[in-house]
Amino acid sequence: MKQSLRQMITCHWSARRIQRYLDADPSAPLAPGEVARLEAHLAICDTCAKVAEEHRILHKALSRWSGAVVDDDAAVQRLQSFVDSLVEDEQR
Amino acid sequence: MPAPVGSLTMADGHPQTDRERTRAFRQFVEPEIEVMLRVARSLTGNATDAEDLVQESLIRAFRAVDRFDGRYPRAWLLTILRRTHINMHRRRRPDTIDDWAMIRDARPAFGAAEHPSAEDAWIDSTLNPPLADAVAALDPKFRATLILVDVHDLSYADAAAVLGVPVGTVMSRLSRARDRIRRRLGPSALTPGRFA
Repeated sequence: MKQSLRQMITCHWSARRIQRYLDADPSAPLAPGEVARLEAHLAICDTCAKVAEEHRILHKALSRWSGAVVDDDAAVQRLQSFVDSLVEDEQR
Repeated sequence: MPAPVGSLTMADGHPQTDRERTRAFRQFVEPEIEVMLRVARSLTGNATDAEDLVQESLIRAFRAVDRFDGRYPRAWLLTILRRTHINMHRRRRPDTIDDWAMIRDARPAFGAAEHPSAEDAWIDSTLNPPLADAVAALDPKFRATLILVDVHDLSYADAAAVLGVPVGTVMSRLSRARDRIRRRLGPSALTPGRFA
């Protein structure tokens, strides 16, 4: 009983940190101690490990859509030239 | 905290001379033009307006570079982009409608690999249609956040700059968006064992 309660609390604690752990965003880093605790929990908890895996697959699926948004190389080139002209005007 | 990009040439992080100013501007802007253009397309809904918006934002950034300390240039530029867009198109509501329309209508990006992994093949063939439906069903503000971070790979801070909200709001919306998608797809849809 005591052990399952502790497990439940750890699962809840982990669920609140899994996305930040996977994103590793510089705005919201986990403390080293949190990373170690989370990784230790994921190693033994199938439920939380499955949630983490689902998030990883979801992110991978969404990131593959980025190629569907057509990059316009000509527009990037024109904007690059625009930067050049801004800088050159300043230097004259 | 990262050092200012041009810290070797600038006292207190701010450009002091015209030469430093132009060099700093190039350093800050050149790597970010593509992402500025991509986000501008999200904001404006079309390529022509997006290019105009980026040009106007570049002019404003150039005028303001003296006051920029060199930290987080992408967030700085995207904030200028958002504010410029608000000024140029006050009647239009910022959204990522254009992004979503393009993504929904396009085929998934299969990348350059000729032999995709089992996981990639499964994502492309099986997961994408229900995933597209799940993303389409999201509230627009959750969808916009999800697309900026998970599709365009913006950091929380950069997405916050684009949306004009605090980083905590981005994290909250992102978490809710992902959880709603997971719930909608169901427990078996994202099963890792499928890729064995």
